[in-house]
Amino acid sequence: MSGETQRGALLLGLGVALGLSALAVGSCAQPECVVPDYTDPECRVIAENEVGRLDAAVGAELRFLDPSGRSGLDWEALGLLKEPPSGALEARVATLGDFAIGIRGAPGEALTLDVELHNVDPNTVISLGPAGAGVDLPAATESVLRRRLGVEVGAGEELELRGRLPCPERFQLAFVGDIQTNPLHFERIMERLREDVAASQEEGDPILGLVLVGDLTEASSDDEFTAMLRIVAGAPVPVAVTPGNHDIVRSKVPIYNSSFGPGSYAFEVCGARVALLDSGTARIARSIEGRLPELFDRDGADFLIAATHYPLYAGLSGDGWSREDQPQVILAELAIAEADLIVAGHMHALRDDPEVHVGSQELRQIVVGTGGADQGLGVARFGYLRVGLEVGSKPRACFVEVPPLGWAGLPNHALPTLPYCED
Amino acid sequence: MPNQFAEAWRHCVPGMEICTRPRPARWLLGALGLTFAGAGTAYLLLVGDRLRAGDPGGMFGGGGMAALGGALLGGMVGLLGGDRRGDRDRLRPSTFALDYGTGGSPRLGERHPGELAFRFAPNYFFPDGGGRLRLFGHVGGLLGRETDVDPRPQNSEPLPGQEGTHPVVLSENQLSIGAGADLAVALPYPILRRSAHLGAAELRWRPEVQVRRQTYDDRVIERTMLLPLTVGVRWYLSPRQRFTAYVGPRLDFTSQATGGEPLDRGAPNIGSLYGEFWYDIDVPMLVKPNAAARINGMLTLGYVHSRFDGNGINIARAYGFLGPAYGGWHMRIRPRESPVAVQLGFGAWVGSGVTAVFSAGAVLPDLGGRRR
Repeated sequence: MSGETQRGALLLGLGVALGLSALAVGSCAQPECVVPDYTDPECRVIAENEVGRLDAAVGAELRFLDPSGRSGLDWEALGLLKEPPSGALEARVATLGDFAIGIRGAPGEALTLDVELHNVDPNTVISLGPAGAGVDLPAATESVLRRRLGVEVGAGEELELRGRLPCPERFQLAFVGDIQTNPLHFERIMERLREDVAASQEEGDPILGLVLVGDLTEASSDDEFTAMLRIVAGAPVPVAVTPGNHDIVRSKVPIYNSSFGPGSYAFEVCGARVALLDSGTARIARSIEGRLPELFDRDGADFLIAATHYPLYAGLSGDGWSREDQPQVILAELAIAEADLIVAGHMHALRDDPEVHVGSQELRQIVVGTGGADQGLGVARFGYLRVGLEVGSKPRACFVEVPPLGWAGLPNHALPTLPYCED
Repeated sequence: MPNQFAEAWRHCVPGMEICTRPRPARWLLGALGLTFAGAGTAYLLLVGDRLRAGDPGGMFGGGGMAALGGALLGGMVGLLGGDRRGDRDRLRPSTFALDYGTGGSPRLGERHPGELAFRFAPNYFFPDGGGRLRLFGHVGGLLGRETDVDPRPQNSEPLPGQEGTHPVVLSENQLSIGAGADLAVALPYPILRRSAHLGAAELRWRPEVQVRRQTYDDRVIERTMLLPLTVGVRWYLSPRQRFTAYVGPRLDFTSQATGGEPLDRGAPNIGSLYGEFWYDIDVPMLVKPNAAARINGMLTLGYVHSRFDGNGINIARAYGFLGPAYGGWHMRIRPRESPVAVQLGFGAWVGSGVTAVFSAGAVLPDLGGRRR
């Protein structure tokens, strides 16, 4: 190598080293998400909190509250509040079970607010009034998930609109993920769910809600979200949602949060704490990682169920997380909290890992990416998971296969550790 | 004329009996890399999640691209005259070294310190060129606590002892430890008949364990990756160029402790496949016998099929299928007749972010018999 070439190589090396040093030093420190990028989970944390509060142009302020009252925050990202150009204020409740919305009237002016609640079980008892002194409103007359209310709020008055779901001794929750390009088949799954909801109600073991574990859309388009909102609005039970990697593709628009509200949140439904983690970018926000003990805190709940899009244990598959340390940390936190079940999607399949080892504990993870998305080669297995919960018993899980049209019977068999539900 | 043409393609590794023909070897490696990358991607996309295709698909894709990229870069360097004789004092890992890796992007109210690691990698060469054993490992961790804030728009007042209005929600320390052994033996020509177009090859076995202990305020979480059966092959494509691949199964242990209790360690979970793919190009810079110092450089490209330390490559909405890629430049400076050399280098891990790494180390004489 000639002397000039050597000098050139040295200069090139020094240049690259300086470039890397510049990367190491970085730029000025700014707060999170100054330049919004909604593929960054931390930006979605900010977005989901922004849509959980509404300073309405009509003069009132609305905010979702923690119905258990254990949160010390002014508001919680437990729903989505919207003020359309005309018509009622819209409040989509993101949780299953109880909810609470704080309403503060405009100073110096009494108002009558037209509020439409979405995603609320028709059996929910709604109350309205000052904190701790709410009066129950008349029961719903229709078996749909929306309720329209007229709320009279005095000047500067603070009211709470609360929902209280009567709890049976035993109940079930349904789970499914990964619809993507096949909302048509997802509608068939919803039809089957509607039949099962009616049957389970008669048997005294009602299905109280559906949890969607992400990938509702293929490309996060407005049309896809509109279609999914329409299907979910017609669901037989309230639907809790967390996004998948296909739902957070658009970096400039928080389309998931502005459609469904929060992605990382926890709630309690009839003694079962359900914690949903937004793992859409194959990682959770570091602030959510710091809040895991809070999100997994049972606070007396009989059951703890965690739901994410990306499976916490990827097994032999390479469908892992972008940051591998995070699922292992989440597993460790779930082991500390003695979680009963993990439900995930992402893999377009039904899988049951009954023994994911975490320390000396075993956690159960069920992957139910069977909402209609392409399953590659092999016979597709579509359907949803049902988990029965009763105090004193372990969660009972079974799968409801909803085959595509054309099959005379069920094209697949149950897994060795996960039976099919009895009709 | 045909003989002259053939000779132009023929080069020998100093000290090795086997000569190589770099150009056809690189063409073969590039073609194999492209085939594996294509087959891996097709396997991943066509077979689908239902049949657990992701892992080998991702590894073949990443490893294939590393082989193809290495062959292309090696070919360019070869055209510039880089297929000539190599130098006996080519770079190997430093016997002892300190590595510094840069931290994450700055955020108001947060700390993202870099990582420092002390590394060791002494070599023992078996008598009569029968192979070599390298013990390697590191001890290191974050240079201070890493902190992250809760960005929820709940607070507008300044917080005591903090920048900004967002409270710290995560405070973490990390200890990083790794150890392993790398046994390399020459592929036993003529037991396996050698093509005249292929260079020498080695077989390798590299058992390894990696531990990361994350300490939070009141809890400790420890992650351990055990790689007991990692096997590899090294292909000497040219006197100055080598391609090395490692593949093996992986076992993951996760353990946790709260409130000062001892760690609750249990059984492992079977993890995804582990793999590494490296392409090394020697660049002798100053190798005159009468020079005050002997300087050798080495350009390295690599791909690691693991996200144990984060930083995997994501393409569009396909997250989590690939590990990180590495590119780096290292130099060995050996004063004339000195048994000890200094080794300096820098590089970057590229994945969902970029981590720059700077390294400084010492090279002590190898133990055992002479190199083959």
